[in-house]
Amino acid sequence: AMSTFSSMLVAGVLPNSITLATLLSACADYSSNPLSLPLGISIHALVFKCCPDHGLDDVVLGTALVDMYAKCGLINVARRVFDGMTVKNSVTCNTMIDGYMKCGEVNHAISVLRQMSNRDKVSWTALINGCIRNKLFEDALEYFREMQAEDIVLDYVIAIAVLAVCANLGALGQGLWMHCLSMRHDFRDNIRLNNSLIDMYSRCGRVDLAFQVFTSIRERNRVSWNSMIVGFATNGYSREALDHFSMMLKTGFEPDGVSFTGVLTACSHAGLIEIGLKHYDVMQRVYGIVPRMEHYGCVIDLLARAGYLEDAMHLLERMPMKPNVVILTSLLAACRTHGDAGLAERLMGYLVELEPDCDSNFVLLSNIYATLGKWTSVGEVRGIMKAWEIKRRPGFSAVEIDCGIHEFMSGDRSHPESDGIYDMLDILGSEMKLYGYHPQAIMSGLPLECE
Amino acid sequence: MAPVNAPPPPPPQPMEAPVDLAALCREGKIKEAVEFMSQGARADPPTFFGLVSGCSDPKHLDHLKKLHDLFIRTPFRADLQINNKFIEMFSRCGSMQDARRVFDRMPDRNMDSWHLLIHGYASNSQGDDGLQVFEQMRRVAIQPDAQTFLVVLSACASAEAIEEGFIHFNSMYKEYGISPGIEHYVGLIEVLGKSGHLHEAVEFIEKLPFEPPAVIWETMMTLARLQGDIDLEDRMEELLVSIDPSKVSPKKIPTPPRKRRLGINMLDGKNKLGEYRLPPVIVRPQVKEQVYVPDTRYVLHDIDQEAKEQALLYHSERLAIAYGLISTPARTPLRIIKNLRVCGDCHNAIKIMSRIVGRELIVRDNKRFHHFKDGKCSCGDYW
Amino acid sequence: SFASPEEAAAERRRRKRRLRMEPPLSSLRPSPPKPQQRIPSKTAPNPNAPKLPETLSALSAKRLDLHNRILTLIRENDLDEATLLVRHSIYSNCRPTVFTCNAVLHALLRQNRHADLLSLHRFITQAGIAPTVITHNLVLQVYCDARKTDTALEHYRLILKDSPFNPSPTTYRILVKGLIDNNKLDQALDLKDDMLTKAFCPPDPIVYNSLMSGALKSSDPHKALSLFEELKDKLGGGTVLDGAVYGNLMKAYFNKGMEKEAMECYNEVLGVDSKVLFNAVSYNSVLEALSKNGNFDEALRLFDRMNAEHDPPRRLAVNLGSFNVMVDGYCALGKFSEAIEVFRKMGEKKCSPDALSYNNLIDQLGRNQLVGEAEELYREMGERGINPDEYTYVLIVESCFGVGRVDDAVGYFNKMMEVGLRPNANAYNKVIGGLVNVGKLDEARESFEQMVEKEVKPNITSYELLLKAFCDVGRVADALKITKDTLMDENVVLSTEMKELMEETLKKEGREEDMGKLYEEVEKEKAEALARAEEEKARAEALAKEEEERIKAEDAAKAEAA
Repeated sequence: AMSTFSSMLVAGVLPNSITLATLLSACADYSSNPLSLPLGISIHALVFKCCPDHGLDDVVLGTALVDMYAKCGLINVARRVFDGMTVKNSVTCNTMIDGYMKCGEVNHAISVLRQMSNRDKVSWTALINGCIRNKLFEDALEYFREMQAEDIVLDYVIAIAVLAVCANLGALGQGLWMHCLSMRHDFRDNIRLNNSLIDMYSRCGRVDLAFQVFTSIRERNRVSWNSMIVGFATNGYSREALDHFSMMLKTGFEPDGVSFTGVLTACSHAGLIEIGLKHYDVMQRVYGIVPRMEHYGCVIDLLARAGYLEDAMHLLERMPMKPNVVILTSLLAACRTHGDAGLAERLMGYLVELEPDCDSNFVLLSNIYATLGKWTSVGEVRGIMKAWEIKRRPGFSAVEIDCGIHEFMSGDRSHPESDGIYDMLDILGSEMKLYGYHPQAIMSGLPLECE
Repeated sequence: MAPVNAPPPPPPQPMEAPVDLAALCREGKIKEAVEFMSQGARADPPTFFGLVSGCSDPKHLDHLKKLHDLFIRTPFRADLQINNKFIEMFSRCGSMQDARRVFDRMPDRNMDSWHLLIHGYASNSQGDDGLQVFEQMRRVAIQPDAQTFLVVLSACASAEAIEEGFIHFNSMYKEYGISPGIEHYVGLIEVLGKSGHLHEAVEFIEKLPFEPPAVIWETMMTLARLQGDIDLEDRMEELLVSIDPSKVSPKKIPTPPRKRRLGINMLDGKNKLGEYRLPPVIVRPQVKEQVYVPDTRYVLHDIDQEAKEQALLYHSERLAIAYGLISTPARTPLRIIKNLRVCGDCHNAIKIMSRIVGRELIVRDNKRFHHFKDGKCSCGDYW
Repeated sequence: SFASPEEAAAERRRRKRRLRMEPPLSSLRPSPPKPQQRIPSKTAPNPNAPKLPETLSALSAKRLDLHNRILTLIRENDLDEATLLVRHSIYSNCRPTVFTCNAVLHALLRQNRHADLLSLHRFITQAGIAPTVITHNLVLQVYCDARKTDTALEHYRLILKDSPFNPSPTTYRILVKGLIDNNKLDQALDLKDDMLTKAFCPPDPIVYNSLMSGALKSSDPHKALSLFEELKDKLGGGTVLDGAVYGNLMKAYFNKGMEKEAMECYNEVLGVDSKVLFNAVSYNSVLEALSKNGNFDEALRLFDRMNAEHDPPRRLAVNLGSFNVMVDGYCALGKFSEAIEVFRKMGEKKCSPDALSYNNLIDQLGRNQLVGEAEELYREMGERGINPDEYTYVLIVESCFGVGRVDDAVGYFNKMMEVGLRPNANAYNKVIGGLVNVGKLDEARESFEQMVEKEVKPNITSYELLLKAFCDVGRVADALKITKDTLMDENVVLSTEMKELMEETLKKEGREEDMGKLYEEVEKEKAEALARAEEEKARAEALAKEEEERIKAEDAAKAEAA
């Protein structure tokens, strides 16, 4: 497209607004290309030159400009163009919302939406998806409710977005409700929606329901299989995950990286080291899939769990990319299980670089020292934490009751039913003691890992 | 032929408020009616009566209170029937405080007022207050009637006041010359039965000066069922059916035979079984539950220090689980989501909890799922 | 006992106020408005602190559904599930009411599942479910059944001290009966006095009747008579209208040789114009008094009258016990076929014999060498699904020995263990004794060894039987071994007779000094064992101390680190 355009210019043909808009959207689409932005700016310049009113009353062109700037990360410029536009339609606004959301400027996005007179389902979708991208799941649900109050007809894109929210929040009640709603809108055979349902149910811990959806799908695609396998695997149903993997192969689907993530996760959960390594090998040799971070993660976890800490460490150092926090933490946790302080120290080197202010790693390290009885080292870790002013991240847990999510912090007394909760804990506490439970934390005075 | 000069039929009157309200009242739209009235619509006494009668459920309490506020501003605020209805309905809504206020403000009361108040207390588990009302009634020298004693007995049953039950029952005839009817005997049996004196109630029946009618056996059968004595329940049912065969319940499951010997064998002293049998071993349940030796330690002493300390360990996941437990039916799974890794101690604790509470506890932490069930976790203790 | 209702009310209110009861923990009102925050106290609330139990009106809606569901489980005899459901419901939004808990406790009691009952009771107490008088009565009954009367009394005192309500007449009946069954007449009498002074319930003929049978059991008919007089007096002086006491009253007269008074009493309370009320139990008592004291013909007449009056369900004049009394009566007269005949007639009156009744008849038949008939009954039990118990087997074993069928006797004994019954030392002694009598000493010793193997503690009789047998045939070495075992066994004491017997046997052999040697040996071994135990204890203590110090050191290090 670029070269055609160049020759057009050379030929002295002045581009009309449609050509420019097309070009701008090309720039926007390839925003990761370093050439896109300069080109986009030069096109903007062209717009000024060739279009009457500098193109400010051309909706399509303006929108394309906003989109281009937003996608290339110059959100403020995008906004200036946006504000300058004399005529805007809903597409323009939606583009702006989308742009803000991409930059994490949620409040601006919302204010754009609030100012819109003719917001449509695309606007809401952009907003909700943006909230998801920015991990504002509760807000996403809130906007979904608001959207419904405006009588906007549900489409499957939004349904999928909301299901993703439910998956993230673990809001099963809401998810079930969404499932019903989708069925009423007759998305029954929408494969993407069904896949989202599988994912949502698995992530809410209800593999049984996920499996029900899976079996009800008439034409499964690879994503369906993958979602189901991963669902089984993360919920600890390793056997089922592996079985479904072989069923998938038999049905004639080619596995991809995600399929193998599921298989390797299953193996690491069940401690099936040999099968896991075999699949890892098959993945590379037979299917030519280059291992990604998560594959390394699973294999390292698998090795570490079986006690092959050095092998795990070796693989970690050989990885073509820098290990992420998840991998390092899982290895660190394995160090605690196997009481390997030396390796833990080496890992901390990586971890501090990646996540200098993460308290849990320090706590884990000090726990490792504590199990080994190295009390001076425990003291040192504490000293470092104090010196670096590392704050303990507060732990919270949530439980969903009748579609309402109730969150608790440690020692929380803010809940209206606090009394009942603590009474119940007292009863449970005395009963648990009879069943042979003794709290470790009391006995050892160790820092608690999680809170 | 109609006279030409006849006046035209009167034009339809605009709907007047009372008519409107009566209609709402008939349709059971109490809320709407109350709203109209707060905005100035007037109700006549029958409508008022109807509206008050409609508030029969605790969820109507707020309407009932509003109605009463409106009522005391009406010219007929002294209406005995409506006031009594207020007492009755406040009792039904579970607010004896309001019922009492109505009673106290009434310019004149009849027997019904007293009865309704005592009965209200009795049915709201405040029998003792009911008995105090009866004391007050006696102090102001109101002559009780047969109905009075019925409500007094129900108050005694609610307060588990057995002695008073008998005293009042006996005073019926002795002091007031009222001969007790079957319903009074039933009332007294309920005083005994509701207080857990089941055997005593049966003995009372056996000593009755007349052949007990079906209603007495039926009362006793219900009491036995509620108090959980299936043997007595079956016996009472047998007696009931022998009098009234229509009462037979076809779905009844026969009681399994009892193992414990009753003291009716007349072989006391001949039962040498104990002489030749080892004392029963108490088999440890598969879980490590403390073996229960028959002693009163747990009743006599406070639970020990360690148990308290552990109870103080209030991690967020435990709070979430505890809240989940008290908010959902037994045996339904609970799902907890935690933003950090679950700690070893909690992991261990939740495993045990899952067994004790008989539920699946699904915990999603920031790394993986833990399905806790029957004291085990799907992660196999590695996470 | 109160002059006016006001007085009674005042007393009741005082009692509740004194205990400053907490309201019951109820799931009916999930969030009672409480302005003040729950203070995180170092001391958890005492689950045993007195609470007001819920009233029956709490049994509604969901909680009533749960109650009915559990009652169905009880009827289906699935007590494990019923217990589990109660436990699981504590951890839910629908807590079981105390009434539901009582139903399960009651069901466990009627199946003799004492340990499970107490475990559930402990659980609900801990869970803050306030007991009712029925709960208390069930627990007291278990303690009494398990012969733990001291624990029962302690529990009773706890009710008096802490409970918001009074014990019921049933409470006293259970306790007094339990004490009498365990031969604790004095304590039972004290309890009765306590009942009268506290005036929670009127003087109760059933309580008095238990006391009277206790007095008769300790051969004190005079006390029984005076108890009757006391009851009569407390009830206002007229005729005692409850028939429960008359059987024991007659027995007391008979025991004192006052036959005339006994029969006068009989004719009066069972005469045409008598207003005394008799039920099956009361009748049985009289029936027994007659039959055991030479008035079997009159007993037969009474039995006929009882059968004629019997009109279930309304009128129950005969029960299993009546037949047992008659069986006993016939047997005492040696009329065994009539005994068996009357036993078989039970079914006509909708009575079915239990193991106890069978044992009773088997005992009588066995003792009179009617082993064939006894075995026939034993087989019949199996066919009718009535499980023979340890006592049944002991009776059959005894009767087989009695007619010289030694192998069959041992066979029955082994059968008892095969079916999972658990004979104790007394049962073993029957076999050892039987074998010794026929001179099978080695088999006898094998039985003894088998008993030790099965962790049944031998009692002094077990040792005596063997020692005597070995001494009799002059097997000195074996006798010495038994004596040594006796001395080493901490649960028994060597009796003077045994010692003398051993010394005499040794003397016959001219080995008097061996006794001294034996004592020395035993002393030495005991000392060694003691030393070993001491040593182990010291080692364990040292280990514990070490552990403690290690923890202390760690704590110190941790404190420093922190």
